[in-house]
Amino acid sequence: MRIPAFFLLALLPLSAQDSGVTRNDWLHYGGTQFSWRYSALDQINTSNVKNLLPAWIFQTGDYSEYLGSTPIVSDGVLYLISASARVFALDAAKGTLIWQYRYPTPRAGIAGSHSDFIQNRGVALTDGKIIFGTRDNFLVALDQKTGKEMWKVSVDDPKQCGCNNLSAPLVVKDKIIVGGNGGDQAHRGYLTAFYAKTGRLAWRWYVVPAPGEKGNETWKGDSWRFGGGSPWLTGSFDPDLNLVYWGTGNAAADFYDADRVAAGTNKSKDVNLYTASVVALDADTGRLRWHFQEVPDDIWDYDSAYEVLLMDRQIKGQTRKVLVHMNKSGLTFVLDRATGEYLSSFNVPEVSNWMTGVTEDGKLVGRNEPVLGKTQSFCPSTAGAKSWNSTAYSPRTGFLYTPTNELCNDITANDTKPTEGRFFMNGDFPTKLPPNRTTYSHVDAWDPVTGKRMWSMPYKFVLVSSMLATAGDLVFTGDPEGNFFALDARSGNKLWTFQTGAGHRGGSVSYSVGGRQYIAVTTGFQQTVVGSAIVGLFPEASFRPGSTLVVFGLPEGSR
Amino acid sequence: MKRALVLFAFAALAAFSPAQDLVKQGEAVFSKSCATGYCHGAKGTNGGAPRLAARGFDQAFIANTVQRGVSGTAMPAFGTTLSRADLNAVIAYVASLNGVTNLVTNTSPAGAPAAKLSGDAARGRDLFSDSVRSFGRCSTCHEAGGIGIAVATPIAKVPADAAALKALSTPQVSTVTIGGESMPGLLVGKRTNALVFYDLTSAPPVLRTESPAAVQAREGSTWRHSSVTGSYNDAELSAILTYLRVVVKP
Repeated sequence: MRIPAFFLLALLPLSAQDSGVTRNDWLHYGGTQFSWRYSALDQINTSNVKNLLPAWIFQTGDYSEYLGSTPIVSDGVLYLISASARVFALDAAKGTLIWQYRYPTPRAGIAGSHSDFIQNRGVALTDGKIIFGTRDNFLVALDQKTGKEMWKVSVDDPKQCGCNNLSAPLVVKDKIIVGGNGGDQAHRGYLTAFYAKTGRLAWRWYVVPAPGEKGNETWKGDSWRFGGGSPWLTGSFDPDLNLVYWGTGNAAADFYDADRVAAGTNKSKDVNLYTASVVALDADTGRLRWHFQEVPDDIWDYDSAYEVLLMDRQIKGQTRKVLVHMNKSGLTFVLDRATGEYLSSFNVPEVSNWMTGVTEDGKLVGRNEPVLGKTQSFCPSTAGAKSWNSTAYSPRTGFLYTPTNELCNDITANDTKPTEGRFFMNGDFPTKLPPNRTTYSHVDAWDPVTGKRMWSMPYKFVLVSSMLATAGDLVFTGDPEGNFFALDARSGNKLWTFQTGAGHRGGSVSYSVGGRQYIAVTTGFQQTVVGSAIVGLFPEASFRPGSTLVVFGLPEGSR
Repeated sequence: MKRALVLFAFAALAAFSPAQDLVKQGEAVFSKSCATGYCHGAKGTNGGAPRLAARGFDQAFIANTVQRGVSGTAMPAFGTTLSRADLNAVIAYVASLNGVTNLVTNTSPAGAPAAKLSGDAARGRDLFSDSVRSFGRCSTCHEAGGIGIAVATPIAKVPADAAALKALSTPQVSTVTIGGESMPGLLVGKRTNALVFYDLTSAPPVLRTESPAAVQAREGSTWRHSSVTGSYNDAELSAILTYLRVVVKP
């Protein structure tokens, strides 16, 4: 028997509820600025999901790479961006084209840099504009109604920095905020805020402080100049606290620290600020309010760049405004989001050898670090216990839903010196399967407050597609073989599956038009970076590319 | 451009003789542009992209792939981004990984060697695109020597000194008025249904596309070049001018 949603909602403070859930629309990359990827729609639920069928299908025609973006839906119109930045406005009930826009093929940046990777993770919608980043590092705003270009601004010069911005921008009041790729290059990461109306610069915050700024003393010599830390995904926003939350990238160089960390440095304190950290910035000024460094001296490429989920939870009898954040290592932190105070943490992957534990105040214990010139196996891999695809959170179950991979990599560090804009990882890291396993990933449900795993559903290959949770007590995601499936949010039982024809690397969303609930999922498997590493691990499998949006609904008569 | 490079590669093949120096040079290019773990890894054996060592590739195949790239993958066309010398070197290196013994190497590159910059010019080059200055650097609006965002038209004449640089007249900048707000604007295009201009209110400039009916543009502006050179002192500006004299072709 299903418990009515309003009953459970009454147990939780209203503000977080309103901020966290989506209804008819899906307005932000993470659903809302709280990044739950949770829809309050329950027309599709555990009892009828078996009847789910495709309502319409849209092929972008852009087969240059894959389709990894998360669509945005507003007032019956779905906005979709493809890997090489073709943007489409579609009737969200029928799939018919309203307008399309094609970003011109950009000039080449630095050969052998991020600008070689063809991808885009999504658009943002604000102020009547559809806004997205490009491979040559511009931010572009289109007229929401016509698809005509309104403004375009250069975030940085990719010919120099080797960087670009291909994640969905975050809408914060009258501003649009973007990070960028570049944490693996000789580059100094930052967040940049532009005014949505004009495209003019509002503020820029550098992850790595300059000389004279607090935190610069945690860098050796002038290593701060190319210290990395780029916040390469999408952040969150709490309007009540007026704080923007973002996870920052790894320190550069990734696997060799002798040029950026002074000998004898105490690594139970902050090192190489503000890399591998969760930061809270004043939304109006971009000034740092607080930080929590998850991995001091990150020498494993364990970014903190992933999504930040904002929620209010009862902890020791008190309602706390918290955030839940999974580090790339799979270590997942619960922090007070007003102050940055460490509350608790739990480790999601089953195979983990880079540290032995975490102290009561959130410090790493038993660090196992790469050594120059030696090849050693480290788990999880740099592809992450989770890749950049998002988790989801359901306020009905109180669970965090995680797609977790069990992978390792053999790291051999080197001490190559940096050249601005070039890859500056200082190591090889071929991905390997851990021994003595038959499955290499799982979808889990976690209670973030107790850190208890409530259920786990194993899968033989890996899972690199975002999760979607709904008030129908369903959790959706897709696998690289092309299966899109629904799990019971309370038990993890698989209730429905559909073969979409190509592998899953993007995100699914839910929305409603004319009283009908839809589930839309992007398909087409990534061929580079993490995608290529994964394909190499399972030569017998078929993880197919493509670029198709598949939209499901319940047939007439079964809803 | 691309065709010329391919022709060059085949012409070069005939005239080459083995040179371990070139392979060594190629290894340096490879480690910077190809060897990241996301791509081919050290010595082309250890990365996320296909292995390159011991694949039985011949030199012509390697030259073609390196220069043209592989569509649908992250393998770019290096023919448009690497210098000829670097291209030849990296091709020779990958050929050596495939046991090519009769390596044909370019002993006399046809391309002019990159200009050697003097100390002051080299410093000027670094200042021109100094990332520590964020948007307060020349390359926010100017492209020179292959670096920078081409907002302004290519620099045609290098000012005599720092004072002249700051006092440059900027007749191309107009005053654009939209919805009662006036701003300095660099007009770049006018079509029947769109007026395209850079809004120079603050750095970086914003390329805006507006309906001509909604915009009034008049010649002249209060905008001055000196308003965007403030992150540099006169000595730094002089070094930048020294650099520009090397790279700007009149």
